[in-house]
Amino acid sequence: MVGLKIDGRPVQAPEGTNVLKAAEQAGVSIPHFCYHPAFEAEGNCRMCLVEVEGLPKLELACSTVVREGMTVWTSTPRVLQARKDVLEFLLAEHPLDCPICDKAGECKLQEYYDRHGLFAGRFVEAKEKRDKKAAIGKGLLLDRERCILCTRCVRFLRKVTGTGELGVFERGVRTEIGIYDGVPVDNNYSGNLVDICPVGAITDADFRFKTRAWFLKKGPTVCPGCSRGCAIVVESVSGYPLGEGQRRIFRIKAGENPAVNGHWICDFGRSGRRDIDERRHVRVMKNANPEEELSWQKALADVTARIRAVPGPERAAKIAVVLNSRLTCEELVLAKRVFAESLGLGKIFFADPKPGVADGFLLTEERVPNARGVLQAGFSPRLPDLAMLAASVEVLLVFGLHLLDHFSEEAVFRALAGIPWKFLFSSHAGPLDRLADFVFPVALPAEKSGTYINVDGLRQTFGRAVEPPPGVVSEREILGCLANGLGLNMGEPDAC
Amino acid sequence: MSEDDVRLIPADDSSWRFEAYLRRGGYEAARKAVTSMAPQDVIAEVRRAGLRGRGGAGFPAGLKWSFVPQCGTAPKYLCVNADEGEPGTFKDRAILVRNPHQLLEGMIIAAFGVGIRKAFIYVRGEYARIARRLEEALAEARERGFLGRGIFGSDFDLEVIVHVGAGAYICGEETALLESVEGRRGQPRFKPPFPAVVGLFRSPTVINNVETLANIPSIIGCGADWFTARGLPKDGGTRLFGVSGAVRRPGLYELPMGTPLRTIVETHAGGPPEGVAIKAVVPGGLSAPVLRPDELDVPMDFDSLAKAGSMLGTAGIVVIGDRTPIIEVLKVTARFYAHESCGQCTPCRIGTSWIHKTVTRIGEGQGRLSDLDLILRLAEGMKGRTLCPMGDAAALPIHALVSKFRDELEQAVSR
Repeated sequence: MVGLKIDGRPVQAPEGTNVLKAAEQAGVSIPHFCYHPAFEAEGNCRMCLVEVEGLPKLELACSTVVREGMTVWTSTPRVLQARKDVLEFLLAEHPLDCPICDKAGECKLQEYYDRHGLFAGRFVEAKEKRDKKAAIGKGLLLDRERCILCTRCVRFLRKVTGTGELGVFERGVRTEIGIYDGVPVDNNYSGNLVDICPVGAITDADFRFKTRAWFLKKGPTVCPGCSRGCAIVVESVSGYPLGEGQRRIFRIKAGENPAVNGHWICDFGRSGRRDIDERRHVRVMKNANPEEELSWQKALADVTARIRAVPGPERAAKIAVVLNSRLTCEELVLAKRVFAESLGLGKIFFADPKPGVADGFLLTEERVPNARGVLQAGFSPRLPDLAMLAASVEVLLVFGLHLLDHFSEEAVFRALAGIPWKFLFSSHAGPLDRLADFVFPVALPAEKSGTYINVDGLRQTFGRAVEPPPGVVSEREILGCLANGLGLNMGEPDAC
Repeated sequence: MSEDDVRLIPADDSSWRFEAYLRRGGYEAARKAVTSMAPQDVIAEVRRAGLRGRGGAGFPAGLKWSFVPQCGTAPKYLCVNADEGEPGTFKDRAILVRNPHQLLEGMIIAAFGVGIRKAFIYVRGEYARIARRLEEALAEARERGFLGRGIFGSDFDLEVIVHVGAGAYICGEETALLESVEGRRGQPRFKPPFPAVVGLFRSPTVINNVETLANIPSIIGCGADWFTARGLPKDGGTRLFGVSGAVRRPGLYELPMGTPLRTIVETHAGGPPEGVAIKAVVPGGLSAPVLRPDELDVPMDFDSLAKAGSMLGTAGIVVIGDRTPIIEVLKVTARFYAHESCGQCTPCRIGTSWIHKTVTRIGEGQGRLSDLDLILRLAEGMKGRTLCPMGDAAALPIHALVSKFRDELEQAVSR
């Protein structure tokens, strides 16, 4: 550890730390645009200049490494003037179109002007005219007038994805970011460019002009898209019901987790936004019709009754359950106790999305978040053979829609038609709705709290990132209620 | 100064050939260094000679060489900066055209001293024809075994590659030069690390100006004392002063370090033409803050000019006569830096452009008095705050023009 003083406060920082980070740890924030903790210091924005005692010039906090006994001042008149000057330079050629800019409210330029600027502009010349919506690939639009040339995007594509689609072109005030010879940005991590752009230069067509940043509630959780378990932040507005075409979830951004994903998430995980809003079940359905008045608790009483109707010794053969690996550890443990240990079922199966192709970075082959949790709960997951599943079964409980990932709709319908009682627990509408006597809407991972175990065996507990639709609960509550109804004491809170 | 002291630029054009150079005693110093001196003694001699970098910054050359780590297995490189882009400067060009073998000899000695086996000569794009002559000179030296393997029968090898740039001022900045040699966009690197430790292809690299290296043979050949006797103890040797503008005899003058600016302008270059008075003098290339006629007695060496608030820079002296409006000088200066800023860091990218736009407006008769203060403030906002020295190179001369000729500019604005 190295001892230094920042603004008069004694600070201890690990050797090799830069002044900017050391100050941050000590609660002193030094404004910066181009510096990003995932990259080496670049030093092009000149915003983080600080005074280091004994050195004649102002030094960059991002690149100056802490030394024993160093004394740093971050808000002397010279420093404040330098910050103002950099802001004035940047704002001189900036379009100041904050009222229509997606980044407004979370823009560093805006934030720093508010905190360190507050000068009257002296630039009276004509601003440079530049392309305001250059399509650079994957739905990303580049506004070259807003760009402050911090080159975070260029460095991300060179150093993180290694794809290098963006470069710096021209020079002087005409300098601009661009793609090479019309070859667009095309990789599974393009969304991060929007996250790391400190201003509104790179925006995402999926989010563009849809809402204002300050309306969004940010809920951290773990991405359920694959078994990596990246930290994500789900950004939503509250309020139901949604009108036609209205959104509740506006975007998913990368969360920070040094042990898993650093600062990045893949586009596949980011596109999970659609999954949360679109084609959702919000009501219990009976014989494929939404029931306005029927609560899930009441409907579940029917499930309980059907299970109870099967005599104990016959249950192993006559009741079947299909689970999935998107369930949390807590839900899986509960399912194990209810279905395997208490009811003694023999027909417990799993149906998951088919594996995809790993991208060599974060995205794994397994397109479920909790395959390790399934094993740890004591299950030996296997896909059902449809004929076997149907044979002599009287009550079938299916969690999730992924049977259809492995069997045709027709095959599923044909095989399961003869089962007298079929219950489906699913978040989204799908063809199986018509097959089930009751369909129970369930919460999505982002609407739950729980634990996933990732591909490396890391247990990650997360809280609820967004509120589920009213009347929609997680499988954990449903299983708890089922246990209660069956008279099994699971130590779970009584939800019924 | 006697004929013998003119070491850098021989008089006639055929002097560039290998045979002509040998007749002048060429390659004797290199032979001496390679066959009879220890590398560290070469560096020590150059340090003792007080040779300061002729590219503009005036960093002691021997000291620069001594920063290169002597141990380690990484290859080391020598880069010759022949990207002579500073306006008002034409000295390296003369060496390259008239005396390329003296540069090569200097390179051999430098490479031997530092332990380098591969060197690059980075020639600015505009010097494409000169680069071809350089290639010819290299071929001559190679043919005679003065370059390549086992030079002078020793086990010392040196390979030299001529690399032609694409014509950007910024590539004269040493780290931008490295980027350009590596095939990337020419823009300065963030320092530290310095090139002596992490330079070309991430290896220790010495970057020296053409004139700096052309001085090396006489230091090794005649000794450090001889060299300092032709200049100052801490700023040894002669300097190529390029004089242009409002003088009777514009040209290149090789004179001892410390020769007063007035002597160079009035005696050697013959002073201004009939009916013209000197209004201002740029002493060391466009980036050197301008001097007024009453400031011309300054000795032309690095320290004296720094004390006078300017710099010796490339020793390109531009004499501005009283028929030239300062606003025109300011326009040319502002346009140059706005055009040549690489655009990497904020203060230089926007500052040079903003000043250029403002000066252009003043030139079009739309100026306001407050514009002059604004220009000064913008220059102050750039000074010492940029990633490379170009911010200062642009801010200082502009600041000096506006502050030293404020009265004339105020009149220009009010008109």
